[in-house]
Amino acid sequence: MVIHFTCNGKPVTVDVDGDMRVLDVLRDVLDLTGTKEGCGEGECGACTIILNGKTVNSCLLYAGKLQGAVVETIEGLSGDSAGLHPIQESFLEEGAVQCGFCTPGMVLSTKALLDRHPDPSIKEIETALSGNFCRCTGYGKIMKAVVSSAEKLRDSREDGHQSGTGLGVKRG
Amino acid sequence: MEYVQPDTLEAAVSRLGRGGCTILSGGTDLAVVNRASGLKPECFVDICRISQFSGMELGEEGLHIGPCTTIAELAASAEIPHCLSQGASAIGSPQIRNAATVGGNICNASPCGDTLSPMVALSASFVLVSPRGSRAVDAETFFLGPKKTVLADDELLTDIIIGREFLKGTSAFKMLGKRKGQVISQVNAAVWLLLEDGVVAKVQAAFGSVAPVPLRARQTEAFLTGKELDAGTIHESLAYVKQDIRPISDIRASEAYRYRLAESIFHDVLKQAAGLACC
Ligand SMILES: Cc1cc2nc3c(=O)[nH]c(=O)nc-3n(C[C@H](O)[C@H](O)[C@H](O)COP(=O)(O)OP(=O)(O)OC[C@H]3O[C@@H](n4cnc5c(N)ncnc54)[C@H](O)[C@@H]3O)c2cc1C
Ligand code: FES
Ligand code: FES
Repeated sequence: MVIHFTCNGKPVTVDVDGDMRVLDVLRDVLDLTGTKEGCGEGECGACTIILNGKTVNSCLLYAGKLQGAVVETIEGLSGDSAGLHPIQESFLEEGAVQCGFCTPGMVLSTKALLDRHPDPSIKEIETALSGNFCRCTGYGKIMKAVVSSAEKLRDSREDGHQSGTGLGVKRG
Repeated sequence: MEYVQPDTLEAAVSRLGRGGCTILSGGTDLAVVNRASGLKPECFVDICRISQFSGMELGEEGLHIGPCTTIAELAASAEIPHCLSQGASAIGSPQIRNAATVGGNICNASPCGDTLSPMVALSASFVLVSPRGSRAVDAETFFLGPKKTVLADDELLTDIIIGREFLKGTSAFKMLGKRKGQVISQVNAAVWLLLEDGVVAKVQAAFGSVAPVPLRARQTEAFLTGKELDAGTIHESLAYVKQDIRPISDIRASEAYRYRLAESIFHDVLKQAAGLACC
């Protein structure tokens, strides 16, 4: 079937079977190999993408569901700029990346969270990342990276406006 | 393969009538099953573009919940009885809850499906439509066994109705699994309660994962009705829970352990629904 959708801000058309996994559409048809396959059955979150503003597992998503949809993958995070997104910077600075296989999914779950809640509590961060498994880091550094990217993003939003408010992460 | 996305119920039913179709909602169960079996479906009828299938609306009979309403929407809803949003919150991960739908959870009919015991406790009514017409089935009689329901191959769940009576009162759900997050229930229970001056005017309870289908706890309900709900009554009611359920032993838990769990979970949900301090 012919499927039209928006991928990382650009219109895309693919002609594939409606029951192809979106993971395979991204990796094999569009050559966007930043999205990873871990378990292939919805458990690990390595294949996380943002579909119409919400995180989903692309290994469980059928291509037909993309018709008219808006998709963000890890490749779209920095937009047209050559640099890294503040979330990606924080992951590097905090040492939250070891083998890196979980990282694209972790970063996208973080982005979807911070788009909704710029100042999340520790509990909200834990819930938002509960569908993303990491076999290397033990999660501590990932949590730190999320907290610091939230601060960075709030700072950049507050630039030029009133500053010095709402900083610091709520506990609980 | 054929993949159709009808935007009306009529178009969906007409395609289903021609046969060879698999109904696709969020796809989180189907994708796992199809990958494991390696089978390629002949035709997917993706029902999620039918506008009245998504979202909730209060009508004369009660609250209508569209089958394609996502589990995440249910989990976040304050309009639905609390036990149903708690059941939805217990499902999978954020990614699963964003894609999975309530209709898919019901029609998949897994004994550990986390919206099933709330649906049974709330006496939800399911509207089923096929090329032969429409019928309404009670949640309690809809489930026939693990992954088995009264649905015919060409029949769609089109509406879930929670009666007005059950929008009053209070309710609670609890499940227990082996770890936090991404767990399958070993036992879950939902209770809906209407108290008048501290006395149980009406109560409905259901258990999941303790039998091939979700079970109403009728003997426990009968014991509780008309009684003042204090710690003593709650404790006494646990003897009836044992008579209401028929747990199995499987890879997730033994029969004896499930009996103990069911009592303990029932104790907690009843207290929660009654607004008594829990544990
Ligand atoms: C990693 C993972 C974790 C999970 N955790 C849980 C959990 O904790 N608790 C839990 O309960 N479930 C869990 N599930 C199972 C699943 O996500 C849920 O059952 C979900 O609600 C299914 O909804 P869906 O829309 O994705 O269903 P689909 O896969 O689209 O459909 C499921 C079945 O129902 C049929 N169907 C769907 N809609 C209709 C309809 N309207 N009329 C007739 N037939 C229909 C389909 O043909 C199919 O047979 C998990 C799944 C995964 C992959
Ligand atoms: S590859 Fe999709 S969740 Fe693991
Ligand atoms: S860094 Fe290796 S899995 Fe997370």
